[in-house]
Parts: sequence; C-alpha cells; structure tokens
Amino acid sequence: MSRARAGLYRLAIAVLTATTLTSPAVAADTLNAYSIWPENWARPMLQEFEQATGIKVNFVRFSSGEALARVIAEKGNPQVDVLFGGPVETFAAGIKEGIFEPYKPPSFGSLPARFKQGEGYWVAIADDPLVFMTNAKFLKEASLKPPASWEDLLNPAYKGMLQMADARTSGTAVTRIFSIIEVNGRNEDKAFDYMKKLRRNVQVYTKSGGGGTLPVGLGQAGGGIFFIVDALDTKAKGYDVVISFPREGIGTSAEAIALLKGAKHPELGKKLIDWATSPAMQSLFAKHKINFVPASPEVKVEPSLAEVLKGAKIFPIDDAYAGANRKRVVDRWISEVLNAKE
Amino acid sequence: MTAAVRRLGRDPALLVTVLVLWALLGLFVLFPLARLSWLAFFEGGRLSLGHVWSVLGDPNHRQAFANSLLLAALVGVGGTALGFLFAYTAARAGLGRWWLAALDAATLLPLVSPPFTTAIAMIFSFGPRGLITYHLLGIKGATAYGLHTTLFAETLTYFPIAYLTLRPILAAIDPNVEDMAFSLGSSRWRVFRTVTLPLAVPGFANAFLLLFAASLADFATPLILAGNSFPVLPTQAYLQITGLFDFRGGAVLSFALLVPAAAVYLLQRYWVGRGAYVTVTGKAGPATVIKSVAPWARRLLLAACAAVAVVIGYFYALLFYASVVMAFGANHALTWRHYHVIFTEGLKAIHDTLIIAGVGMPLGGLFGVLVGYLVARRRFPGRRAMELVSMINYALPGTIVGIAYLIAFNSPPLALTGTALIIVACYVFRYSPTGIRATVALLQQIDPSIEEASQGLGARSGMTFRRVTLPLILPAFFAGLGVVFIRSMTAISATIFLVSINWTLITVRILENMTELSLGPAAAFSVLVVAIVFVVMAAISWALRRLRSAGSLQVTSFLGG
Repeated sequence: MSRARAGLYRLAIAVLTATTLTSPAVAADTLNAYSIWPENWARPMLQEFEQATGIKVNFVRFSSGEALARVIAEKGNPQVDVLFGGPVETFAAGIKEGIFEPYKPPSFGSLPARFKQGEGYWVAIADDPLVFMTNAKFLKEASLKPPASWEDLLNPAYKGMLQMADARTSGTAVTRIFSIIEVNGRNEDKAFDYMKKLRRNVQVYTKSGGGGTLPVGLGQAGGGIFFIVDALDTKAKGYDVVISFPREGIGTSAEAIALLKGAKHPELGKKLIDWATSPAMQSLFAKHKINFVPASPEVKVEPSLAEVLKGAKIFPIDDAYAGANRKRVVDRWISEVLNAKE
Repeated sequence: MTAAVRRLGRDPALLVTVLVLWALLGLFVLFPLARLSWLAFFEGGRLSLGHVWSVLGDPNHRQAFANSLLLAALVGVGGTALGFLFAYTAARAGLGRWWLAALDAATLLPLVSPPFTTAIAMIFSFGPRGLITYHLLGIKGATAYGLHTTLFAETLTYFPIAYLTLRPILAAIDPNVEDMAFSLGSSRWRVFRTVTLPLAVPGFANAFLLLFAASLADFATPLILAGNSFPVLPTQAYLQITGLFDFRGGAVLSFALLVPAAAVYLLQRYWVGRGAYVTVTGKAGPATVIKSVAPWARRLLLAACAAVAVVIGYFYALLFYASVVMAFGANHALTWRHYHVIFTEGLKAIHDTLIIAGVGMPLGGLFGVLVGYLVARRRFPGRRAMELVSMINYALPGTIVGIAYLIAFNSPPLALTGTALIIVACYVFRYSPTGIRATVALLQQIDPSIEEASQGLGARSGMTFRRVTLPLILPAFFAGLGVVFIRSMTAISATIFLVSINWTLITVRILENMTELSLGPAAAFSVLVVAIVFVVMAAISWALRRLRSAGSLQVTSFLGG
C-alpha cells in the first residue's frame, strides 16, 4: 500500500468511527438513570425491575454531589429520566434548581409524611440511619469500649484516628451535622463547639460517605460515623469492626427517587418510581443483603438488621428544617470546623 | 507581519493547515473557556467582579493557592531530577537492550495507572497502621495525609513525563561533541557540567513546565492524600462544584490557576530562547562509543534507578495482591472473582475505554506534531498565540475542562454530551501538549538548514514536512502518541463529567469501586489497564522497529530515544 493510500485509508476509518461515535445508542424499552446508590446495590435491584416489567434500565453511578451537579448542568438537555437513590437532602437541594418533575406513585398515600415531598418532587424508597463504626483491634489496644455516646468520641485516645465524610460533597456528612445539632437541642453554637472539639480527633474528612469505611476496616483509622448500609457491608466483607449507637440518639436520612424534568422516557421513569416505592421492591432488600431499612410501612425489617437496630435511639432529620438551613450550616462547618485554625 | 501574511498566501498547504488548526482550537479550547468565563465573570449579561473578589478574598482559598504553587514547584523540581536520572542513565550508561526495557517498564508503571491507585497504595503503606510505617518500622501515629505524601505520589506519578521529554534530547546530543571536550583534556564531570547539562537545558525547561502544569491540574492525588491541612486549588474547585453546586466559584478558582501556568510558560520561553542548542546537523560525524560515564558512576546511576524502580514495583505488587485476594486486610484467600466481575459487569467500560483511547491516540499524536512543528519552524501570524492556546486545556484543572465542556456542548448546535466524540476531543486537546513540547524541544536541536536544503531543491512545505521533518521528529511523535493513549486509559479529572449513559470509562469505574469499598474490582481494573497499555505500547514499539528508515534518528523504543 502506498503512503498516500495508507493515509486515505486511515482517514476513512477515522471519519467512519467519528460518525458512529456521535450517534448514541437507543433501544425501545430502555430508560436511563443516574444512581446514587452504589453499583453493587443498584445493579441487583434494577435487574429485579427488568425481570418484573421487561423494561431495561441503563444506569451510571455517581456520588450525590456529582450526580446533582451533572443533572443541573444537563438541565437543557437531560441525559437521564430518573435520579435513583441518595439522601433526601440532595433532592431537597435539587427542587430549587427546577430539575425535577413532580410525580405521585400509587403508594404515595400510604407513606409516612417524612418519606415524601408534599408535591411529589421526590418519594422515599428506603431509610438509612447513621451509626458509629470502630475497629475492634483498635478498641482492644486502646482499652476502649465501643463508643456509646457522642462524648465518647472526644476521648483523646481517638486523636487523629477518626474518619468521616466532608460536608462539601457528602450527604452522609450533612446528615451527621444535623444529627449533632438535633442532639444539642438545635442549639447551633453548642453543636459547633462539639464539632470543633471532635475535629481534633479527625484524621481526614473523606469525599464520599463510605470513604472512611475501608481505612477503619484495615485499622488505618480507629473509627468513624457512617450510614448503616456502609458499616454493615464493611462487616460483611470480613473486616473486624464494631457497630454502636450513641445513647443521646443519632439521625437517619431517607433515600429518595425522582423524575427529571424534560425526561425523554417519562412513562418508563414513572414505572420505575411506581416499582421502587412499592412494598414489592423493598421486600427484596433482604434477598440481596442490602441493609437499608424499608420506607414502606408494609415491609418488615429483616431480622438481623432489626437485631442491630434494637434499642438504638434513632430520630429522623427534619427535612424542612434541614433544607432551609443546609447551605448556611454547611458554610459554617467549612469555616469553623474544616478550616479551624488551632 | 505583512510579509508573514504574504508568505502564508503563497503557501496554500500551510494556510489550510493553520486555518484548520485554529478552527479546532477555537471550538475545543477557546469556546468552552469562553462559556465558562461568561459564567464566572458575568452576571445577567453584565461584567461583575463582586463574585471573584468574594472567592479570592477567602483566606482559605488564598492558602490553597499558595499550597498549589509550592506543590507544583516541588513536583517540577523533583520530577525533573528523577526524570533526568533515568534519561541520562538510559542515554549514556551504555545499557543493553534488556536493561533499557526494564528502565522503560519501571517508568511506564506510574504513568499507565490512574493516579489515585498510587495514592491508595500509599495510604495502605504510610498511615497509623501502614504496612511500612507501622508493620515494618514500628512507627506509631504516622500520618498518611499532607504535603509529604502528596508530593511523593505526584513526583512518582509524573516523573516519567520528564523522562519522556529528556530522553530523546539526551539521545540527540551527539556524543562526538562530548568526545571533542574529552580530547581537549576535560574530566568527565567537567564535560557533564559544561557540555551535556547545558545542551539539555531546553529539555529541563520543558520537563519542568510539563510537570508543574501536571501537578497544578491534578486533583485526584490531593483529593485522597492532601488531607485537611494542605488544601490545593484543583481539589477546592472540584469540591466547590460537585459539593456546593457552585459552578461560578469553581470557575473563579480555576482561573486563578491559569496565572501561574502562564507565568511558568513565559519564563520557559525566555530561558530556552537565549541559547543555541543545535547539535544534529546535516554534517554529523561518524558515530562514536559513548564514554562520558565512568564505570563507578554507571554503577551508581543504575543503583539509584533500581532503588526508584523497587519503590514503584512495591506499590504495584501491593495493587496486584489486592486484586487476587478476597478482601485486602481481612480475608487473604486467593481468588479470581474480582477479575470475573470486571469481565462481566465491567465489560462495557473496558470496551468503551478501548475505543476512545484507540481513536484519540492517532489524532492526538498527529495534532501534537503538527502544532509543535508549526510553532517551532514556520512563520505565520498568530504563531505564539497558537502555542499558548494549545497549552490551555493542559494547564487548566481537568475538572474545569470537564465542566466547561459539559456547559459548552450540552445544547444545539453542538449537543455533544453523551457522545464519545466529546471525550475523544477532551483527550486530544488536553494531552497532546506533551507531544507539542517534545516536538518543539527536538526541533530546537535540529538544524533548520536541513529543511532549507529540501525547500531549496524545490519541495513544497507539505513535502518537506513529510519527507524531511517528520522522520526527524518521529521520536516526539511517538512520545506524544504514547502519552495520549496512556492518558486516555488513565485520566479521570475531566472525564468524570463527560462520561455518560452511553459511554463510560474504566477509571470512573475504579473510583466508584473504591468509594463503594470494592477494593478488589478496583485493583483488578487497574491491573487490567496496566496490562492493556503495556501490550499496546509493545505493539507500537515492534511496529516502529520494523518501519524504521535509515535516515531517521535512532528509535530504540516507542517512547522515542
């Protein structure tokens, strides 16, 4: 092949590939979603949906902040139909941005008030309490009992050994901060005093809510505050960790789903929401070893999960209060806690 | 200027090339940046700096700015030194083929894996219960987060860029020049200091610039390693956008990064522009045996390279180990299940990544050589501007490029989000500057009289470029090709915003797996990336050896040497 012909041949291939690359694949009964739930939980659940309805769900996973930023950036030309999973405060922040289309699924009426947005901008599909998770070996070496109070985490033995999420990116962190405000009787100054003291024991604030679970599992960190799904998953992987609850109580956040405004397959999206908010879906959590607490009052909590939760004092985060104060509280956390000068 | 315009008119091939390149740069560099600037500096259609002041007035952001400069400068110096050590050893220590291959392999490892995999391996090694700090050395309370670990990880990750830039330049320094100095009675050290080092100056400047820019733009390493006490700008900008949904604040922070990047660029132009570095001329003498390194110095160089290689090898052994055990740190039973997972659930990501890297590689390599050649050799209006513009996407934090692309290409007539084209374009315009810089540095060493001879004999510019210049700058072309492919396989900061339902990437899956506590699949994906890149690189290297023509510079490997 001559040089010129080889060049032409290469050019032809480049042009052909370029044209195929610019046309996204489309299938008839397929809907698109961004999942905030990690893939190992979203995949089995969405496969169950496909089996139940014949509708295929094409999805990618992002952490809550990233998913929200994308949906906002894509507002003029939405790439997906549904935002699936993720703490409710992310959805509350999205309502203001005008990215959601209200929709009330059949189960809407039977859900408790805190598991739905009044106009149907989002509906909860699960509940996810926070827990304390500590490394068993670390506790033994430091002769500590599993922390049973928020005050226990201020023990100097934990100095530089706690990992928890960064409120700039993580919904886990925002839920944690509102928990602390709540146990301090909504006295914000008192809550921030506590968080400033707690910071001395924090090794690093991680980008994602579950980011610290592996270091705690490995003993690189002594402990931290995580959602129960992440903590129980760490334990299931074989890491020797202990889960405990503070006696003053700890917050829980609903996990939600929402239809996007301008969705290209709104009818398919609504079918997914119908299914995800139904007892049928939430009774499958146990089968796939996903430790969310069902939002639907008709589904019983799986016995081993119920055992962990037994006796724990858990309260819901008031989403109206959290939504109204979220930005101010996070800003305050950044300037007074994260960037504290000592 | 008018003379230059007239010359352009007489040379239609040059005119067309320049116009096409400007159109591409305009579309994929300037346009997204303009859309982003609009967002950062305009409010309701009017210029408004209030927001800029409020962002830059924050002492924490100023601290992050200072930290970024410190880190980038240290990475630039450390990485250039390390790259020079490897390049000098490769070019002057008279190594056999296998030694050279081993050296290439060691430098490739950090380059071919996503930066956060090194960062994760470092956290396992250096924390309070780190394998090295605690289990090996018994140090309690060591910290894995801060400047020291970030610097270490970035230097190790980016020094291969300096190696790639410096090695062709050192190889192109005619040993006869050193011989002349020896025959005049110089000692080896004096020759090294007064002949070899000064001739490598354009290479140093380029390597430093590339490393400085790479460190300024890197967000993945600091995101994992910098911790709370050492914030840097790209990470802050990323968190501002993804966490606080503050596109505007993130845009302002990223513009702050452009200032040092531009300053380093101008400094480098001034520095390199002062001397003459031509050593490859049409009248080169017969080849000589390299004798510039004493036997003891050769052993020392090899030992130093081996030490660095051992550190790199340790990190990747750790990564490989994590990919074949059930759960690293908890259950060390051997298993293939993580590989099974990535070849079933992760197959689409592998497929998509390979297509995108495969398409981007030749385009990026060609683009780099073309721009580098035009900038270094041809006179046309806007030449300097083209050089500057071609560097912008490289210098900007990837996060910002990603967000700018997302904003610019989300609506008609250029609705490219969701396509693979947007990812390919991002890679080509973001990673070809390595090829551009390598081409420029190499051309500065090649006497223009060779090209003038061709044109004097009546060849047009296109012909001269194809038949004379291109063979001479082939090493730079392949360096550029290699970097674009490697980065297409490993980059994440920009593309995390550009992946879509239709096209997803391995690196994004790795980061997701890590945040999901699925360390096994993350490690397995990383091992796969390393393996693919090595295979493709070996194939290019083999093809290049087969195609090598007698007149070109010696190309001992695909990386250009």
